[in-house]
Formats: sequence, C-alpha cells, structure tokens
Amino acid sequence: MLDIKKIRDDFPILDKKILDNKDLIYLDTAASAQKPKVVIDEINSFYSNNYANVSRGVHTLSVESTFKYEDARKKVQKFINADSEREIIFTKSATESINLLANSFALKYINEGDEIILTVMEHHSNIIPWFLIRDRYKCNILFANIDSTGNIDQKHFESLISEKTKLVSITHLSNVFGTIVNQDIVNLCNKAGIPILLDGCQSAAHIPIDVKALGCDYYVFSGHKLYAPTGVGVFYGRENLIEELPPYQGGGGMIADVSTDGATFTDLPAKFEAGTPPLVEAYGLGVAIDYVTEIGMSEISEHELKLTNYALHKMKELDFVDIHGANGNKHSIISFNIKNIHSHEVSSFLDVEGVAIRAGHHCCQPLMKHLSLNSTARVSFGVYNTENEIDTFISALKKCRDFFTK
Amino acid sequence: MNDLIKELYQEIILDHGQSPRNFGECDPHNRSADGHNPLCGDNLKLTFFINNEDVIEDIKFTGEGCAISLASASLMTEKLKGKKIHDAEEIFSDFTNLVSGTNEDLKVLNEEDSLYALKGVGGFPMRVKCATMAWHAFKSALKS
Ligand SMILES: Cc1ncc(COP(=O)(O)O)c(C=O)c1O
Repeated sequence: MLDIKKIRDDFPILDKKILDNKDLIYLDTAASAQKPKVVIDEINSFYSNNYANVSRGVHTLSVESTFKYEDARKKVQKFINADSEREIIFTKSATESINLLANSFALKYINEGDEIILTVMEHHSNIIPWFLIRDRYKCNILFANIDSTGNIDQKHFESLISEKTKLVSITHLSNVFGTIVNQDIVNLCNKAGIPILLDGCQSAAHIPIDVKALGCDYYVFSGHKLYAPTGVGVFYGRENLIEELPPYQGGGGMIADVSTDGATFTDLPAKFEAGTPPLVEAYGLGVAIDYVTEIGMSEISEHELKLTNYALHKMKELDFVDIHGANGNKHSIISFNIKNIHSHEVSSFLDVEGVAIRAGHHCCQPLMKHLSLNSTARVSFGVYNTENEIDTFISALKKCRDFFTK
Repeated sequence: MNDLIKELYQEIILDHGQSPRNFGECDPHNRSADGHNPLCGDNLKLTFFINNEDVIEDIKFTGEGCAISLASASLMTEKLKGKKIHDAEEIFSDFTNLVSGTNEDLKVLNEEDSLYALKGVGGFPMRVKCATMAWHAFKSALKS
C-alpha cells in the first residue's frame, strides 16, 4: 500500500487551486507527469552548486557535472535493466530517440522496397520519422491493424512479416487505449530475427521495465512522463546492434579525432550524443528514477491499475459514456466520448470543475481515422491520484452531460 | 454552475452547435477553402459565391467539430451572407479581436450582434482556435 497522503505532499502543484478555488485534479499524466519537489530542488541545486559543461574541461565543476550526468546514465541502466551503460543514450525526448533510430538504422540497413512495420495506433512520433525515411529511401511502411479491445490484431501482424521486413516499431503501452503489447508479438519478431523497437513513453512510468525480459532490441522513453523534467529522453539499444549503427547527428563530444579531411567517431554512448547534452535534465531524470524506485515501481503499477479498474467500473455504469476498447486490459489510460458531446466541450467543462483531462486526437490521427472519430477525451493516472479524485471526475461527467443535454 | 462555462456556452451557441445553419455546399460557388484545427482534428469546408458587385451572395459550410467551432461557423455564415467583401473583412478582424480577448476597440461588431455570444471563448485560450477555424478558412478562400 502506498502512503498517498505523503506522496501527494511531495508534489507542490497539487496544492494549486483552479479558477474559483477548485482543487486541482490532474488526470493528464499521460501527456506529462507533475514533478515531485525533490526533482525541482535538485535541478536548482545542480545549477547553484555543481554546474559546468560535461566531458569537456578538467576543472572541478566540469568533473562534478560529468559525474552527475554519468551517474544518471547508470540509474537509467538499472531502471530498465539494461546490460551496460553503453546502451543508454540521452536525447532530448522519445521523439528524438525514435528519429535517431530511424535515421541511423536507415543509413545502414534500409534500401528501396524494404518494409518497416508499425501499428495503426502509433503516436505521430512513431510514424512521421518513418515516413521521412520512406520518402528518402523508397521503402514501405506497413500498419498492423488492431482489434476492438485496442490490442494488435496478431494474425494481421503476422501476415505482414516477410523477408522484406527490416524493422518493427510499436508502442509498448498505448497512449489512447492503455493496452500493453502482447509478449507474443515481441517473441514473434525475435523468432523471425527482426529487430523491434518498443515505444516506452507510456510504459516507463506505469510498469516495471526489464528490456532483457521483454526481448526488445530498442526501447525509448521521455523523462517528462516519468516525473522528470522536460528536455531529456532515453534511447536504449542492445550494445551489439548500436555498435554497428552510424551516428546521424554530428557535433562536439562524439568524435575521436577530427582533421580537415574528416573524423573518426568515439565509442558508445557518446557516439550518439553530439553537442552539449541535456545534462541537468538527465540528472533530474536520475533523481526522478530514485524517487519512483524508492516508492517501488511494482507498488506504483499496482496502485495505478487499481485506479484504472475503479474508474472503468464507474464509467461503465454511465450509459452516456462510450469507452474505447472497453474490454481491453487497460493500464493507467482510458479514452472515451460522451454521446453527442464533443471532447472539447467535456474538457472545457471539466476544467472549470478543476479536473484536467486531455481532449483531441492524442497525436494518433491514423487511429482516430481507423475508429471513425475525430477526437476523444482521455483520463490518465499517476502515482498521486486517488479514488476520491475519480469520484469527483465521475460526478463532473454527469454534470457535463446534464449541462449539454438540458 | 461556473460563470465561465455559462458565458462560453450561451443558449445561442448550444443552439447553433447542435443545429448549424447554412450547413452544406453552395451550388454554384466560386470560392472555397478547408479549415482545420491541428490540435484536435476538427475540420470544415467552406464554400461561397461572390457576385460581380463583390457581394457574398451565398455561403455555406460542412464539417465536424465541437460546439464552439460549429456555432462560430454557423453564425459567421449568417452574418456574412449579403455582405460586401470589404465589410466582411472588417467583421473578420473585429471577430478575431473579440474572441482572443485583446480588448481592442471593435469597429463594426457590437453587443447586439449574435457573434458577440462567442466573447466567452476569451476565457478559454485553448479554444480560440475552435472559434476562429471557419473565419480563417474564409480569409484564405478570399485570398485564393
Ligand atoms: C506513445 C507515445 N509515443 C511518443 C510520444 C512522444 O513523446 P515526446 O513528445 O515526449 O517525445 C508520446 C507522448 O505523448 C507517447 O504517448
């Protein structure tokens, strides 16, 4: 059992009042998580006491900065159970991590006619980088269907795999349905010898991650959804695979030697970290990882699953609510529509009740088209949410329905 | 009920949002444009006919969207039908000032206007794009 009162005290923003003195009920953690005080304070302290550029100078501050930055890398490595720190690349976001893989992988392996498999429920961040590659290399992007529960249609997925398949890139935990990818999908790729990237933007904050047990070759996530600052993301790749990949961004910090004729590149992980990295943000990510690890990822996961099931149960009692993929196994995320009321209305209405939810296409337009919707409302839960808050959300939904159908 | 919500969703907005006027496509038309709100995926198609005296003789729209975007499009077509292009452009700039809450002096719109009902959008900055989607489509159709 989590001590929710104590956890809530860790997040200064939860004291905020919305509009006419309503308590903030933050149900938009899937878009970005709020930050515990320890993260905010540690960032402040880094700038006040230890800050300088990393891996550049030999003076004291540079050493301290470098030490803190590399220490954060070790924390990420442990957090996702990677084999080596060399497998952890800091980027500015999951989006940049996916762009990194798309570009580096394509440089080395993609030729005209090759195929890359995604699913129709991917976030635009896991679609557009591949479209850019398609346009440049004349390869094809295939989209696996999903079933009515919001899970990948396994038969269809299997039917897309062929000798032309070079890579599979799919979401680990859907930011619309809250469904978690079936392990069989990963196993299938492993068996066929096809490298697979799991987009862990949503999973990293909600379930314990073990990249080795998962069997994924690449894994990416953004710090800001894991209670860390914005501006830092992680790219994980199995060492033997990313050893072979060329860098796609060039700059300082990633070279072994440069002359006017050319350059040789340095070793992992710096090879993929051109330029001054988001070092304070990475440090903040390390602090956030310590924070959730101390509470326990399993405990957090269990708490959020309970909240999800509680909310699902309450929402299913409302005959005016359509839950998308209602019968799927959801974790921390529920998308829905109120019959005949646009999600914007729902979100604005709930906002003045103090309840922050997301409305729109969730950067998943292909999925919205697939569902013949143009937008949905979404609630998502974090470590700080409570059943009481869900009760308030449910009663706000009822008020909203009454207001718009009077 | 919160005042902001009541101001945002006045009777007339809910009415036009639920049963938009001038819904459809002008036949014939000599101007058209698509509007879309990339934040949420809402979209509309605007068509109108300008006669040789520069008067908007007919104007219609189709599309999907929230109550604010539909009501705004519906009220816009009512307001602009029969107007000279020059006057319509003045209404456009008044309207965008009105909903973005810039408090600039309005030149042609006043509190009697049905469009004034959309003033409440100013309290919801993220919804301004909903209210202006049809208007920007109008402006871009004029340019085309
Ligand atoms: C599943 C998924 N993938 C990718 C992203 C993109 O993350 P970021 O914008 O932090 O790069 C998100 C964030 O919304 C997401 O939910």
